[in-house]
Amino acid sequence: MPRRSALSFYIVLTAATLGACERRGGCTTAGCGTLIDAAVVEPPTLLPPSTEDIVASDIGEQLFLKLADVGMSTNTDGDEDFQPLLAQRWEWDGPLTLVFHLDPRARWQDGQPVTAADVEFTFNAYNDSAVASPFRPKLQRIEKVTTRDSLTAVFRFRERYREMFYDAVYHMRILPAHLLRSVPRDQWRTAPFGRQPVGDGPYRFVRWQAAQSIELVADTNFFLGRPGIRRLIWRFTPSLPVAVQQVIADQADIREQLVTPDFVERAKAAKQLAIYSYRGNVYTFLSFNQRAPGDTSKPHPIFADRDVRRALTMAVDRASLVKSTLGDLGQVPPGPISALVGIWDPDVRQLPYDTAQAARLLNLHGWRDHDGDGIRDKDGQPLAFHILVPSSSGLRKQYARLLQEQFRAVGVRAEIDELEGSVVAQRTGSGNFDTALLSRSNDPSPGSGITQSWTLAGFGGSNFGRYYNPEFERIVQLAISAPTRDRARALWRSALETINADAPAVFLYALSNIGAVHKRVDNVQFRPDSWAALLRTWRIPPDRLIDRDRVER
Amino acid sequence: MTGGGSAWLLRRLVASVAIIFAVVTFIFILIHLAPGKPCSENLEPRVCDLLTHQFGLDQPIVVQYWRYLVELAHGNLGMSFSLRRPVLDALVETVPFTLQLAGAALALDFLLGLGLGIYQAGRVNRLPDLALGNATLFVYSLPTFWLAPILLLIFGEKLGWFPVGGASDPIFCPVVDSLYCVGDRLWHLVLPATTLGLVGAAGTARFQRAAMLEVASQDYVRTARAKGVPERQIVLRHQLRNALLSFITRFGLAFPFLLTGAVLVETVFAWPGMGRLAFNAILTRDYPLVTASALIASTVVVAGNLLADVLMGIADPRLRVHAAAGADIATA
Repeated sequence: MPRRSALSFYIVLTAATLGACERRGGCTTAGCGTLIDAAVVEPPTLLPPSTEDIVASDIGEQLFLKLADVGMSTNTDGDEDFQPLLAQRWEWDGPLTLVFHLDPRARWQDGQPVTAADVEFTFNAYNDSAVASPFRPKLQRIEKVTTRDSLTAVFRFRERYREMFYDAVYHMRILPAHLLRSVPRDQWRTAPFGRQPVGDGPYRFVRWQAAQSIELVADTNFFLGRPGIRRLIWRFTPSLPVAVQQVIADQADIREQLVTPDFVERAKAAKQLAIYSYRGNVYTFLSFNQRAPGDTSKPHPIFADRDVRRALTMAVDRASLVKSTLGDLGQVPPGPISALVGIWDPDVRQLPYDTAQAARLLNLHGWRDHDGDGIRDKDGQPLAFHILVPSSSGLRKQYARLLQEQFRAVGVRAEIDELEGSVVAQRTGSGNFDTALLSRSNDPSPGSGITQSWTLAGFGGSNFGRYYNPEFERIVQLAISAPTRDRARALWRSALETINADAPAVFLYALSNIGAVHKRVDNVQFRPDSWAALLRTWRIPPDRLIDRDRVER
Repeated sequence: MTGGGSAWLLRRLVASVAIIFAVVTFIFILIHLAPGKPCSENLEPRVCDLLTHQFGLDQPIVVQYWRYLVELAHGNLGMSFSLRRPVLDALVETVPFTLQLAGAALALDFLLGLGLGIYQAGRVNRLPDLALGNATLFVYSLPTFWLAPILLLIFGEKLGWFPVGGASDPIFCPVVDSLYCVGDRLWHLVLPATTLGLVGAAGTARFQRAAMLEVASQDYVRTARAKGVPERQIVLRHQLRNALLSFITRFGLAFPFLLTGAVLVETVFAWPGMGRLAFNAILTRDYPLVTASALIASTVVVAGNLLADVLMGIADPRLRVHAAAGADIATA
């Protein structure tokens, strides 16, 4: 019997080995290759207007084209450095009308041509409230999109401003009208198309293994040229440490954001990995709620006072916090923007770290330690508040503790509420908080992010702290519609200095992105606003192909 | 099966359905009362409100519960908010993975635990028994949340012996369609199943050793030994067979622990099972998915206990007699 068991074992082993050999195919030329991205989040759908997560956007880059896209400079002002994609060329027909001429070679992957009717259909879908697209607010300045002929789409704007071209092309990925017209708009979020999309991009959808991976394969007939790498796989891993481990252990090829200094060091130590640095698109801040928690009709007893907010901001040594927690991976932002945004300027005037001045301001407004317990008080009320922080973010939890210490040093008591992301979303959305440690991701435009999060337009939206200063709003509007680029830049600087002086939040850190990619990959370019935007130009030279690159399936 | 046995089984089935219904109702109410809403932190509140309306979450909880029951009666588990697809589809894809993991962990738990327990009982208070006793106590005291990342770090990242997460090689085996891919699945299963099963095996070994020793002092064992029955036969035929009753009880109790353990293990090892699905559903307040996961989990646990009761009846003739007489079988 033991002999028979051993025989069975060897038969299984041989069959398994043969099976393995059988799968190692012979693709050895340029254009071969497989890249595996270690992704942390699995998107619920790949239908572009219904996606709000970054992984869906990364995959969307490969499947659905925009009319044109920003270049490596990420300029959003005018159309300088924009790269043609579906639109072969464009021209202005008067101050408010932009005309796009589509590339006649563009095809949907089911063989149908991409037409101007698809562009019109896409604009109407993104603007339909039933679709509930998160991009809808960014298209409000476009009045309508019409067609002049099958390859000419006409955008009509409501007003003239500097980022008209950017708004027309950046937020929308053009959709196949012939496949989506029959789907009721209020069912788009759950439409089967979102899990089995047909696009017009450089890659075709192959398969979606739920909770495991999404696989794309190069469209060899792509009208802008065959992609350099044949297969792309997003492998879903629910935790960042494990995703980083997969790349370090050579079981994945890309981790586009390593996030912490520890992960960066570990990735640098892996021989097969090359490290790439690029501008980050996220900034984090401690938001002061200026309205009473849970009752937006009343002012907040502490944070409605501008000087108290200024004092608390001056009590925080932001530069030291960034250095001690993030090292080279972060910077103190010059306002509510990430390093991605073109108006980033470290010389913008900000409130200094000055605990003496902070104490003077608090004393001036009657916040003194009357009872000698180490905490300032006024009219019997201690200067105390809660910091709301999502329990899923280790970095923000660490920051909450550091802030707690810094506030304690000036006689302010801060208590930390670590809660699940869904609870944080509910409480910030309903205004039921004192302060909250929040992160925002920007697109490259200063206009859309600042307007949504820091002006009246964001009330009931992302302006959770309900900051409002008519002067700030005026400057922002002037900057958006400034006649020249230099004038716009000066106005944006003025806007940032105005909001910094009002201190609606302590702007704590803006992340720099550091990614890791397998060294066998050539021509790696990370566009700062979307690392995957140029994936189709990456290459693996034939002499560097490894087993997983050669496989034929 | 006798008439009494059938009646007993029927009563147990009815009670099981009632328990499952109670669990589902309890979970439905609890998750709806929990703070939070089914939207991510960065989603615009206006968009979130619109989605809440589209999914009917702005309705009173009683209305939602009634709708849920009606849909459930038609075999519809609802639409997942976070996955944007029918809950049933998501479960059909993930439950087999959890069964594979739990099955492998259960096999490791009981085969290893049983073997060690028997081995130790045969060498009681000697060096192997003492060494294994300390070793099993050490393993039993390891928290799974610590063991999982440590195994991953050592055997996945550092040594590269096993995959760092996932259930299959996404390039060579996106689907299991060959012998090679079966091997690949087993290779991916080693670390998560070991994490889940090893701690249980240590517990089972200690449990089984105690059960064996308890039986060893019984009259029939002493009699067998006095009659000169070989030691191996005494252990296997007399001690083990009688000690199996407590083993079966433990088998019934293992299901809830395996399912709760799977939540953590599946999350750490990126195993695409129901535990990870349920965990994400709770975090994202995906009410239909949470409730359906509770339905499946409670069904498995209740079925496991029912199976243990039936096995007890088969293994112990005295219990069969009680059942036939209409008495309820008490299990631990």
